[in-house]
Amino acid sequence: MEFNSLNFLLFFMITFAVYHLCYQKTKVKNIVLLVASYVFYGIADLKMIPVIAVMTIILYFLGVKIEKFLNDDNDQKAHKLAVFSAIIGLLPLFYFKYFGFSVESFAKLFSTLGFNTEISSFRILMPLGISFFTFRLVSYVLEIGRRKMSAEKDFLSFATYVAFFPCIMAGPIDRPNKFLPQLKTPRVLDSEFLTEGVRLFVWGWFTKVCIADRMGEYVDAIFGNYQDYGALSIGIAALIYPLQMYADFSGYSNMAIGIGRLLGIEVAENFRRPFFAQNVAEYWRRWHISLTGWLTDYVFMPLNIKFRDYANLGLIMAVIINLIAVGFWHGANWTFGFFGLYHGLLFIPLVLSGKMNKKTKITWIKGWLISPQNFLKMALTYCLVALGLVFFRAESIGVAFDTIGQCFTGLGAVCKEGGKLNIAVFMFSLMILCVKDYLDEGKFKFGILKTGEKVWFTNLQLIGLIIFILIFRGDAVKEFIYMQF
Amino acid sequence: MERTEILSQVTDIFRDVLDNEEIVLTENTTANDVEEWDSLSHIQLIVAIEKHFKIKFTSPEILSWKNVGELLETIAKKSA
Repeated sequence: MEFNSLNFLLFFMITFAVYHLCYQKTKVKNIVLLVASYVFYGIADLKMIPVIAVMTIILYFLGVKIEKFLNDDNDQKAHKLAVFSAIIGLLPLFYFKYFGFSVESFAKLFSTLGFNTEISSFRILMPLGISFFTFRLVSYVLEIGRRKMSAEKDFLSFATYVAFFPCIMAGPIDRPNKFLPQLKTPRVLDSEFLTEGVRLFVWGWFTKVCIADRMGEYVDAIFGNYQDYGALSIGIAALIYPLQMYADFSGYSNMAIGIGRLLGIEVAENFRRPFFAQNVAEYWRRWHISLTGWLTDYVFMPLNIKFRDYANLGLIMAVIINLIAVGFWHGANWTFGFFGLYHGLLFIPLVLSGKMNKKTKITWIKGWLISPQNFLKMALTYCLVALGLVFFRAESIGVAFDTIGQCFTGLGAVCKEGGKLNIAVFMFSLMILCVKDYLDEGKFKFGILKTGEKVWFTNLQLIGLIIFILIFRGDAVKEFIYMQF
Repeated sequence: MERTEILSQVTDIFRDVLDNEEIVLTENTTANDVEEWDSLSHIQLIVAIEKHFKIKFTSPEILSWKNVGELLETIAKKSA
């Protein structure tokens, strides 16, 4: 059930009405949320309901046990149990996402070494949302183990946190210490949350259906038949693909955050205008923030601590392993590993020059124009990201190299797939997105759908945007890219 | 070693590593209170503290500190 489908609208209207009718009854509200979340997830993948339910129960009790060890001042046991619980939490993810891939890879390795292997190819169908709810579970037990929060006593709240329907399919990955306390509050619908929720939802819907979906047709046509094109078309596709990904995934995230607001809940931030980043490290601080934050805390930091005596070399190793983990999180394919390694290598000059964690500032000429120096750095970062995404989206590393190699066969013609209207709609919509991000980045007094503006002005913009969406959205409801991860 | 003495020495290390003479630490100071204190400088601080006090922290210890007070507690315990 996509957020931009009629079925979802109906489902949400019922949930929203029932939820807010339980005025100030916190527990009843949580029951409504939990039931709605399980219904939502059950419609997507019924056979996964027992998996999420059993994992929730197991990790709930493990969390209580970890806390008991901590209270008894048995820190070592608590630490070991937290790590064990994290492994338990990750088991379904490894089974559904990586088991088939690992067996296949080993089989290939053995046959390369001359051994006969019977296994040719088998993959387990990956359930939706598994990468997201398992990370919520793992974060919970590790935070207790690190004494950063207490174990949740109320099972209902915990189960609601794990299965929270706006975020179960593609994030953002909320942290328990920020999310769970919100489930203890009455969450009365106020006008601020309502306006903010609708604003975010409509904006996300707009970037998804008017930019990502329409651009997708064009980009898919080129990457899918790259042998028929030359440097011009492949160059265009590679350069606009990051924008398609951004419009799609930030679109989903904004819709999820917006739905959260309508339910009185603040969901974690996921994007902060990533293409204004002036180096790759900054890009990762602005792109898929909830995932990179998660991996920074639970993969990068422990590795960096382990390797701390090796100075920069240790830091580089921690960064590269962390980014390979980011890559493989997206799926069981060597392309994702390569994508992570590529980004890891891009960090090396930043680590050596001490710029990795340095905050960069944009110089605004006369208060409104980005300085050419900053602009060049942004453009270079964008191109490096775009090149990495060629590997990210390819079926195999070989195909990615072939696609790049095809650029050297000649300029070729410019692809006109999808028709002029399609191109015109996504170009115009993209312009709106760029203007909005530019104004937001520059913290200008005015902006598009800006928070804190007069209600009538926001409503006017919303109505205009909704009319535009209804006229110019594509014919079919398309899946969000990140649902496959 | 007195707790105040540890705090004073740790403050000197912070000022030196983070290159900011104006840093004033208290037991309740957290990473949010010191601009230069991020995930990377955190590791540099740990290495410098370990060297200075001739101690070695474990990963769970490092990951569980919530403020400077808890860091001082571990130093006091380890160097006792």
